Amino acid sequence: MPAFPATECADCGELYGFPVVACRDCGCESFETRELDGSGIVYARTTIRVPGADHQGQEPFEVCVVDLADDIRITARVLDNPELGPDDSVQFVEARDGVFFFEAA
Amino acid sequence: MRNVSIVGMGTTEFGVLDAGVKDLGVRAVSRALRSCDVNRADVDALYLGNFVAGILEGQENIAPLVADSVGLTGIPTMKTEGACASSGIALRQAYQAVATGVHDVVVVAGVESMTNAETTEFTRALNSAADTQTEGKTGLTFPGFYGLWLDRYMHEHGATREEVAAIPVKNRANGATNPRARFRDPIAIDDVVESRLVADPLRLYDCCPAADGGAALVITASDRAREFTDTPLSVLGSGHASGRSGAYRYEDLTTLDATVTAANDAYAQAGISPTDLDVVELHDCFSAAEIGDSEDLGLFEKGEGARAAAEGVTAVDGDVPINPSGGLLSKGHPVGATGIGQVYEACLQLLGEHENQVDGAELALTHNLGGSGAVCTVTVLGRDA
Ligand SMILES: [Zn+2]
Repeated sequence: MPAFPATECADCGELYGFPVVACRDCGCESFETRELDGSGIVYARTTIRVPGADHQGQEPFEVCVVDLADDIRITARVLDNPELGPDDSVQFVEARDGVFFFEAA
Repeated sequence: MRNVSIVGMGTTEFGVLDAGVKDLGVRAVSRALRSCDVNRADVDALYLGNFVAGILEGQENIAPLVADSVGLTGIPTMKTEGACASSGIALRQAYQAVATGVHDVVVVAGVESMTNAETTEFTRALNSAADTQTEGKTGLTFPGFYGLWLDRYMHEHGATREEVAAIPVKNRANGATNPRARFRDPIAIDDVVESRLVADPLRLYDCCPAADGGAALVITASDRAREFTDTPLSVLGSGHASGRSGAYRYEDLTTLDATVTAANDAYAQAGISPTDLDVVELHDCFSAAEIGDSEDLGLFEKGEGARAAAEGVTAVDGDVPINPSGGLLSKGHPVGATGIGQVYEACLQLLGEHENQVDGAELALTHNLGGSGAVCTVTVLGRDA
């Protein structure tokens, strides 16, 4: 089960799902990676059938807002599962080019 | 702070106009200047909202370009940009300049030309309103943002697809009699729920069309308003707030807090509550957006917005008329022109001259939202102070 690479402020400990360059709370610019349990819960899901310019040919694909441990919420891709919806369980698979990919758990 | 009035207005129709951003801006501003007794020498400044002319036309620096083309050379000008709220922000800035006494007479415009663009360029331009590092990379589009929104809303509040479809049906019926609207043919519930999926559960008829268009206003201090027109209208409240930078940034995705903040500021300034409003023009870029906006503006309890539309409450002759113009779903969404276009429609209502007139409309609200709820302006308008 891959762990999820969260970003932790080296100063105040604030946690982020997406990488950041300065802490929203304290302004610190140093961060460490903190591994979270990669299991998550879908908060909302859509299936993109008309993609933007950079995702042509990938459609249809699922984009979800996913809740992870420690109140981390991220926008992520879910692999080929248009049936997923709010409250369903998902598992982190990998981060690729700054995009987090999950699959149904 | 001085009171501020609207003394002139002009617009193009919203649609496929085969004209660039400069020409549309010039038409709108010229029409606004001609609609009242303002001499060009009276005008102190021009504020112009635009979003994607730089990307689509390679045309920036639009505000001085338009000013020079309408005979306003020499005055200070500026462009405002806040995605779909670009011209709402222009009005807000112009309002503040007049209210604080910096300027006496200001021309405010919004303009966009979109339909000539290639589809890939067009979607790239629109997606630039989202955070490209997070949601852009993920592949989330704006229909996708509201697809997420509606998925969560239906899960939490039990709204049905048919109730949601009542919104495009209503707005298309209203647009059918608005000569400024891009779409003037009515549709039925079945048309909406059987149209192709775009970003589940949103379908094609849940989404507003692109459009070209320009709209402009002339505003001034209220104590000078009657120099320029016999029928000035008052800006009673103006709110402007920023919100969240992506879907993942909301604790409750079904409440776009920029709208709540901007609306509360505008209500407080105007000294009114939502129930006092006679007519509302809000940012219905998608059917889902109209539901959320109507709740965030305090017009309905959370979870009641879709049902209210399905029951006819938001029809022109309902208790809470919303988007009698046809809204973005019918007029189209020339992004940078949308906010001033809404104010134009609300002004016609207050003057009693709208094609879909709400009987006795005295108090109106316009609501202009940009990005993933990232920026919002709300304006409360009334008859002459
Ligand atoms: Zn910190």
